[in-house]
Amino acid sequence: MIYRGRNRSSRSNIKGPNSALTQFLQEEGISAETIRQRWLEQQQKSASASPAPGDGTANAAQADKVEDEREKSEALPSSDEEIILEKSSINLEKRMNLVQDDSDEEEYEDTSLTTISRSPSVVALDDELRKKRTREVLKTRQRKRKRAAKLLDRRTTKIATLQDMAIAKISESITSWEREKDQGENTVFAHLRDVLGGISIDNMNNLAKTLSKNRALDDKTLQLFLKTDLTDLAFHDCSKLSFEGYKTLAIFSPHLTKLSLQMCGQLNNESLLYIAEKLPNLTSLDLDGPFLINEDTWDTFFVEMKGRLKAFRISNTHRFNDKSLASLLVNCGEELVSLGLSRLDSISNYALLPQYLKNEHFHSLSLEYPFNEDDITDEVVINILGQVGKNLKTLVLDGCLELTDSMIINGMCAFLHDGNNCSLLETLSLAELDQITNDSLVYFFSEISLPHLVKCSLKRCLQVGDAAIIELMLNKGQQSLKELSLNSLKELTCEAFISLSCENLQSLDLGFVRCVDDKVIEEISSRNPNLELIDVFGDNLVTEKAKIKQRLVLIGRQSDSI
Amino acid sequence: MSELKFIKLIGEGDKEYKVSYEAAMVSPVLKTMLQSPFKENAGKVDLTKYSGDTLEKVCEYLEYKLRYQNADETEDIPEFDIPTELSVELLMVADYLNI
Repeated sequence: MIYRGRNRSSRSNIKGPNSALTQFLQEEGISAETIRQRWLEQQQKSASASPAPGDGTANAAQADKVEDEREKSEALPSSDEEIILEKSSINLEKRMNLVQDDSDEEEYEDTSLTTISRSPSVVALDDELRKKRTREVLKTRQRKRKRAAKLLDRRTTKIATLQDMAIAKISESITSWEREKDQGENTVFAHLRDVLGGISIDNMNNLAKTLSKNRALDDKTLQLFLKTDLTDLAFHDCSKLSFEGYKTLAIFSPHLTKLSLQMCGQLNNESLLYIAEKLPNLTSLDLDGPFLINEDTWDTFFVEMKGRLKAFRISNTHRFNDKSLASLLVNCGEELVSLGLSRLDSISNYALLPQYLKNEHFHSLSLEYPFNEDDITDEVVINILGQVGKNLKTLVLDGCLELTDSMIINGMCAFLHDGNNCSLLETLSLAELDQITNDSLVYFFSEISLPHLVKCSLKRCLQVGDAAIIELMLNKGQQSLKELSLNSLKELTCEAFISLSCENLQSLDLGFVRCVDDKVIEEISSRNPNLELIDVFGDNLVTEKAKIKQRLVLIGRQSDSI
Repeated sequence: MSELKFIKLIGEGDKEYKVSYEAAMVSPVLKTMLQSPFKENAGKVDLTKYSGDTLEKVCEYLEYKLRYQNADETEDIPEFDIPTELSVELLMVADYLNI
């Protein structure tokens, strides 16, 4: 018996300490120690409940047979145990030993315990328990993962709406149909399009969003949006749309007035001109990444759109240069009421803007991330605001690092109002302006009343501190504000948050504001009745202990990590 | 009429589908209808444009949402299954009922 035991342990040494089973258990989070504890308990129970049916001598007598058969059985995975169970009692005895052998822990002790063999029911029970535990561990993990995914999707409600679920399902089916590529495909699309025709435009754009999110928008799925009465369409990821796709879109959706094509890398000269030609009602165009369009085409396009184009936004292309900008302004400048220029590496002559932006209804200006920071200076922005500041609803100056307090005092304070120090501004974003300070912002928020302010971002304005926030809370904008970003304002202290109380605030970004802790979060939670989301990435003082109201979701808490 | 226990949704071919009053309140549209002075407040809502299968799924969703909308974090929320062939029609009903 002892000899056998040694023999076996040396055999298992060959297998090494990391057998497949051990590895499996490690992966599933089951530790050897707990199994051992349970096993010992089982042993004690079975020993006290029923004396072992077989004894050591019987075992020894069967030793040879067992040795022979072990080679075979060892190859069997543990899930086949049931089958073996039904075999003879000799097999059973042998299997018992094998189980102990396989479990790989405490083999030296095993040798002394092998004399006590267990009844099949106990083994089954043991197995059952183990499986159950594995299942539980897996379940908990799955739950945690689900929650984390939800947090990242910024979903505040626990249950998705039926509309969202249905859209997800439709997108899923479209993708799978595409894969199948059978001959019935066309009819399915035709049918789907017929049915979808009756759906509100809102859901059409939701469908576009879901498709984009799944990177499933291409020439085929594009067909869903054709031949409809859609006037407003936004595709957030067009990377798979070919230039032919854009042409079909232009031909079959003639009612479009607003079109947004993000990541439209395949949009070429021909299709851009097609869009200008075939969409007579188009007034608003938003293009991201149209780097195939050259200077001549831009010029032709703007000439074609003269008198029609009211809103234009372009980002991420190096081929839109100063000449193209000049062409835009000369041809469409008078009509423009909204202009966005972001991450355009070939543009330096921003000083051209104030000259041409003359429309008195001009309401949206966004100049973001210029290639050379000194291209957008205080003077340029002050001049623009002097022209169009009165009716401005949106002002975005993210990443214009050259701007200073002078822009705020001589530009925003001087021109962003209707004469009675009241502004129409709804969105104000000054992200990454690290030269602006408390002084100018305090002055601005105290001088200009912002009763329509909905969105305000002071993200990474590193010199801004408590006083600016406190002043903002004294402004009229405090009542209308829905979104506020104070990301990375390292100067902020708890003082600022005592005053933070907005009736309509829904989303608040406090990422990397290190002073934020559980108490601050509790305070904010109780003072802002409609708050749904707080970003707390990098705020290591925020723990799961913070007592917050039920509808509020914290994103980026360290304790939520998987 | 708030003492109503069940609401009947009438589907294609005048088939009736029952859903509890509380669950029906999940849909803002049904809620307004049932609390209105119009005939819907008798507890019958005419949705004959839609097939029975779809309405059955709608009832299932309403109950599902009612059951789990206030579930705490430790509770397991099962997936809500939508058959592919119903997805488009469901989207339309969901759009109509604003759920």
